[in-house]
Amino acid sequence: MSAGRGAGATAPVGGVVRLSRAGLAWRGAVLLAGTLLVTYGTARGTDDLWPFAPMSQFAFGVDLDGEIRSTYVDALTTEGDVVRVPLSPRGVGVGRAEVEGQLPSIVADPSKLGALAVAQRRLHPDEPQYVRLWLRQEVTRLRGGRDAGRSDELLATWDVVPGGQG
Amino acid sequence: MSGLVRWLHAPVPEARAAVFRVLVYLFVPLDVLVLHTSGEYHGHADPAFYQPLLVGRVLPLPTPTVELVQLCKWGVVLLACALVVLCVRGRYSRVLGWTVFALYLEYQVIAFSYGKVDHDRFGYLLALAVVPTLGAVRLRSATRSEAAGWTLRMAQLGAVATYFYAAFAKLRFGGLGWVTSGTVARAVIRRGTWVADELLRRAPSLIQASQWGIMAMELLAPGLFALSERWRRRVVAGFFVFHLVTYVSITIAFWPHLLTLLAFLPLERLVGVTPPPPEPSPLARWLPARLGGRPDRRPVAVP
Repeated sequence: MSAGRGAGATAPVGGVVRLSRAGLAWRGAVLLAGTLLVTYGTARGTDDLWPFAPMSQFAFGVDLDGEIRSTYVDALTTEGDVVRVPLSPRGVGVGRAEVEGQLPSIVADPSKLGALAVAQRRLHPDEPQYVRLWLRQEVTRLRGGRDAGRSDELLATWDVVPGGQG
Repeated sequence: MSGLVRWLHAPVPEARAAVFRVLVYLFVPLDVLVLHTSGEYHGHADPAFYQPLLVGRVLPLPTPTVELVQLCKWGVVLLACALVVLCVRGRYSRVLGWTVFALYLEYQVIAFSYGKVDHDRFGYLLALAVVPTLGAVRLRSATRSEAAGWTLRMAQLGAVATYFYAAFAKLRFGGLGWVTSGTVARAVIRRGTWVADELLRRAPSLIQASQWGIMAMELLAPGLFALSERWRRRVVAGFFVFHLVTYVSITIAFWPHLLTLLAFLPLERLVGVTPPPPEPSPLARWLPARLGGRPDRRPVAVP
C-alpha cells in the first residue's frame, strides 16, 4: 500500500490516478461482504445486528381503528410534589423509546424503575429526589386515523428504597 | 461486470473527496456533543438497562461507565478535530481515521444498547470507515482519482441503501398495508409539533397519503444512479426538503444521513476547484435532452 494518494493507487495515467489490482480487489471484497451483511440483516435480522440491522424506524403498521400508547413516568418527590419524570438521556440516563423497548421486563420487575431514581440522583443531585414512581401509558384511541379520545393506564408502581440502590 | 467495476470507481476530483472527508470529521463533534448525546448519559444509567448489541457481546465490549463514555466522547471529538487540520496536510489520516471510526462505533453501540436503535447512522458510519482509504490527498487537488471516486460512491451507496432498505423493512414488518396504516399519525400524536397536530386534525387523509409518498421515494431511491448528475442533484435537494418537512412536523431529523447525502454534490467548488463536466446518465441515450439526455441527440423533426 503506497504512502501517497489513495490506498493501493498507482501513479497518474492520462490525468487520472488509477487503482492497482490489489486496491480494486480488496475494495470489491469489502463491498460484497458489507452488501451481504446488510441485506441479510434487513431480510432476517433484528436490531441486535446493528450496524447491519434492518432500517426499521417507523417500519410498523398502525391500525387506523386501534390505539396508540405513549409511556410516561410520574414521581413523588422528597418535597411532596408529583412531577413528570423527564424520560430522556439527559433527564434519567434513558429515553422514552428506550424505556418502551424494555417495557415487558420493567413491568415484570418494577424494581427496575428504581434505577431511574438512582440515575436522577446521579445526574441532578441538587434537585428533589424521587421516593415513589408510577409507570403509566397515555392511550389514544383512533377512529379512521383520527384522535377519538384519550385515557391513562397504570402499568407499575415502585417505592424507592431510601439511600439504597433504588 | 467491468462496466459495474468502472462505475464503482468512476474517477472524481480528489478535492471532492477531501472536502467530503473534512465535512465527515467536522460532523463528529457536532453529533457527539450536540445532536446524539444519549451515549454519554447512558454512562449514568443503571447497568440493569444495558442490553448489549451482538457486536458488544462478541468483541466483548465493557459495560458502560461514566469514565468509558467520557473517554469515547472526548477521544473521538479531539481526534476528529485533529484530523480536520491534519487531513489538509494529508498526514496520519489512515491510522487516526480508523481510530475515530472505532471510537465512534463504540460510542454508538453504547447509545444503542439501552432498548432503541436508530437506522440513520448506517451511511455515515460507512463514510467514516471509507474516508481513511483516501490517504494523503490535497484539499485543492483537481486531479481525478479512482480512489476518491470509490470513497464517494460508497457514501452514496450508503445513503441510497438507507432509503431502499428502510422501505424493505417497512414491507417486512408492516406488510403491504403499511402505506394505509396510521404510522405517521402515531408519530404525530406522540411527538407532533403544532403544525403536524393541526394537519392531522384538519386533513388526516393527507397525513396518510404521505406514507405512499415515503414508500415510493424510498423504493425508487436506487433510481438516483440512473439519472444525469444534474437531475441527481435536484432529487437530492428534494430529499433535503422532505427531511425539512419531517423536522417541522415531528422534530426528527436524520442528521448523519443528511451529511452522507452531501457525497452527491460537487463539493470541490467549496475550495475553488472547478468540477469536471457532468457525466451523462446511463439512461441518457433514451431520454430527451430536456430531461438530462445527451445534448447532441436532437429530436427528430416532425414533417
